[in-house]
Amino acid sequence: MRDFILSNVKPYHGDSSFLAGPTERTRRLWEKCRELLLEEHKRGGVYKIDPDTVQTITAFPPGYIDRDLEIIVGLQTDEPLKRAVNPFGGIRMADNACRQYGEELNPQVKEIFTKYRVTHNDGVFMVYTREMRRLRHYGIITGLPDAYGRGRIIGDYRRVPLYGVDRLIEAKEADLNSPRLMKIDNEEIVRLREEVRQQINALHELKKMAESYGFDISRPAMDAREAVQWLYFAYLAAVKQQNGAAMSLGRVSTFLDIYLERDIEEGVLSEEGAQELVDDFVIKLRLVRHLRTKEYDELFAGDPNWITEAVGGMVSDGRTLVSRTSFRFLHTLENLGPAPEPNMTVLWSQNLPQGFKEYCARLSIETCSLQYENDDLMEPIFGDDYGIACCTSAMRLGEQMQFFGARCNLPKCLLLTLNGGREEASGERIAPNVYQAGPGPLNFDEVWPAFQKMVGWLAEKYVTTMNVIHYMHDKYAYESLQMALHDTFVGRLMAFGMAGLSVVADSLSAIKYAEVEPVFNETGLITDFRINGDFPMFGNNDDRVDSIAVDLVRLFDHELKKHPAYRGAYHTHSILTITSNVMYGKKTASTPDGRKGGAPFAPGANPMHGRDKKGALAAMASVAKLPYRNALDGISYTFSITPNGLGPDQESRIRNIIALLDGYFLRGGHHINVNVFDRDLLINAMHQPEKYPQLTIRVSGYAVNFVKLTREQQEEVIERTIHSRGLS
Amino acid sequence: MVTGYIHSIETMGTVDNGGIRFVLFLQGCALRCRFCHNPDTWLTKGKAVTVEEIIDQLIDYKPFFDLSGGGLTVSGGEPLLQPAFVKELFIKAGELGIHRVLDTSGYCRHGNFLEVLPHTDRIIFSIKVIDPEKHRRLTDTGNEEILKNLQEAVNSAAELVVCYVLIPTINDTDRDVWDLSQLIRSFQRKVPVQVLPYHKMGVVKWRELGLRDPLEKIPPASPEQVKDFQQQLVKKGVEIYH
Repeated sequence: MRDFILSNVKPYHGDSSFLAGPTERTRRLWEKCRELLLEEHKRGGVYKIDPDTVQTITAFPPGYIDRDLEIIVGLQTDEPLKRAVNPFGGIRMADNACRQYGEELNPQVKEIFTKYRVTHNDGVFMVYTREMRRLRHYGIITGLPDAYGRGRIIGDYRRVPLYGVDRLIEAKEADLNSPRLMKIDNEEIVRLREEVRQQINALHELKKMAESYGFDISRPAMDAREAVQWLYFAYLAAVKQQNGAAMSLGRVSTFLDIYLERDIEEGVLSEEGAQELVDDFVIKLRLVRHLRTKEYDELFAGDPNWITEAVGGMVSDGRTLVSRTSFRFLHTLENLGPAPEPNMTVLWSQNLPQGFKEYCARLSIETCSLQYENDDLMEPIFGDDYGIACCTSAMRLGEQMQFFGARCNLPKCLLLTLNGGREEASGERIAPNVYQAGPGPLNFDEVWPAFQKMVGWLAEKYVTTMNVIHYMHDKYAYESLQMALHDTFVGRLMAFGMAGLSVVADSLSAIKYAEVEPVFNETGLITDFRINGDFPMFGNNDDRVDSIAVDLVRLFDHELKKHPAYRGAYHTHSILTITSNVMYGKKTASTPDGRKGGAPFAPGANPMHGRDKKGALAAMASVAKLPYRNALDGISYTFSITPNGLGPDQESRIRNIIALLDGYFLRGGHHINVNVFDRDLLINAMHQPEKYPQLTIRVSGYAVNFVKLTREQQEEVIERTIHSRGLS
Repeated sequence: MVTGYIHSIETMGTVDNGGIRFVLFLQGCALRCRFCHNPDTWLTKGKAVTVEEIIDQLIDYKPFFDLSGGGLTVSGGEPLLQPAFVKELFIKAGELGIHRVLDTSGYCRHGNFLEVLPHTDRIIFSIKVIDPEKHRRLTDTGNEEILKNLQEAVNSAAELVVCYVLIPTINDTDRDVWDLSQLIRSFQRKVPVQVLPYHKMGVVKWRELGLRDPLEKIPPASPEQVKDFQQQLVKKGVEIYH
């Protein structure tokens, strides 16, 4: 795959002037979709549910938006936006989701998945220990993929157009007959042989699904339209089979560019035609839907799918992977208007062509729909053909997969430490008593070692819980289609995570540099903290506290790695919260940094709201100190600035964004969401949502339609630091 | 080691179209402008920092300056009330190749001004109003010293921009346009004028300080008013800085 791209890629160094607007056909098709999306919004977020059909790759007959207008075809069900039931992850989840949206799950489906078929969710709960259940119940480790698809696996969908399905089946058959898989002397080989057989079955199903739309994808794609269509079929089969939280696309634009440019050169395709294919493909991606429960939406707001497409980046030999189709993908944000999906992720390098940097900067200003990740940091680790799953998770395409592990609530872990192992709200003892705060000021030299011990204890519980989850997911909800688009002997990453880093860093800083006195209730639980004096806060480029944050990241990484992960996976972790920082905060009492009980955490690795007092560069400098090598699943920073804060005119704003990105990444920053908006705009949209149907903003690692957030989440976004100060 | 008293630091200032700038707000100002949006910088009590501390931070952010064409801006308060500090800071920043902007009201002793001027790359010189009587009413002080310093700035090698905050009904009359354009045209070199609209964002600070905003009845200047004022200046041969 990499060879094919590297020997055929045509790097593009120009600007965006060659791009074509939407064709009349595109406009009409998108208008139809917009009507459907509006109707979906009116119906409370779900357009339609099919409660009778269990979703598989071939469960539904072909579906169309408007057969005559579509040039790329295929839908998850037989109608656009209709959601299917996927009970393999858990039947209760499917049942509740149907009920919450006024449908009744087919009793027969319920019976089959209750009586005869074990789900992933059942499997996990059969094995969980009491301790694991309590940690989960109290939200110490939370958001776990134990009742829904884990996602975060990127099939190398490009393999389908490049090779055709028949050759992929042949290769998998050959693997089955290879010496390594023929010597069945341990459980892993048995499991792998079963999985590869399932992969082959899925590839046959994929062919059948394409056939139902009238395409024979057993052979390679012959032209651009086929390449886009073949690739989309592969992705479509994945989102039919799996309802994973993040179902990312990979890195397809420059691969497709090879086909598009060849057709253009041969005179059979115009620029309008090329853009039309990309637009149509992106329309399809914007219509991907999964049936979720309302509790799920509280964690991951706005119905995201993280159809992450990584654009740009460099080859290790110094060439750029920016092609005209990199521009064409981003251009869909103009042709179809801003949208959260696909999750456009620019792999930024200092060496990207200037024209591309300028185009990205302009789109960030105009659409708030882009996120940026540091290619110069990731390329040496993941090579030059990696993709991003979800928000910030890098992996080699087709060679590596990930076991997604959600995150743990670090501030709650600190409160657990101070309360002698008792949960701060219920008083239940759920962790060992390594320390008990007494009356009078807390002593850093006592708290810090005790907290380290508690993190060590929690790390073991966290790793073993993940082992249970992924064992069961492999067993009962295996991603056979996506794994068919991986090498058979695949590298595995296990991605842990933490929420509330800046809360804990500031708390420890307060204990160290100010006087923090706990306030106890009658049962001896801490209800609040009295703080005397000033202390340095994360986000001001102050090493006294930034070094605490760095230590926390290292500590967590180190402790996780002490405990072996399922199937020999390599431990990584992320500092990323999605929108769950609001919910986590709600479940966490007052913390020693002065944050009141119930108040949201900052998202991802952000400084706490309003505490970064020295402006954007200082905040960025603090975040950039966090060591990526100890948090290889990504360090997410969401940066918001007003247009005027960015510069007095468009030209200087573009120049300043480029300088910010170059400077931030040069310092070792990993990820950044860029938002350019005025607070007033958000407040207006909160009060009059109907006027802002397409207002898109970046939250933590993805973009959302602002109006789809809950009121609480909207308020939290508005509270965030929006850098706005210029000189006067 | 020279020490300065600062109010705050903004690591990313962008307003004056000079790239990304590290803005150091110094504490202390002797003018009492009725329209001041930073009255919290008036008093001289601030946080003491050394030149070295600031330089350490500047080095840290240098890539951002280089990439955007930015640099250091010293503002306030009135920076020239602490000339030794600013001079030392500018000399050291200059040695590092960092572009230096001085944002001043010009209200300081002439000697102070002369001390800093040779080490400054660009001066943003804020003129409140030309008429001395109006100036006294608006700021509690006459503007003789200020205009003398402005002439010194014109004579220097530094790039110079005159900044004028347009306050409706206060300094926007035909007479004000005439006075300002006469002054600018009397200079031996072209000095562009930046017209900024008066805004109400400083009102909160007056309240926080327990002070009554003396211009509370004055509305902010609209974009049209600013444009109109600029056009009048252009007609009289003044170059506008955008």
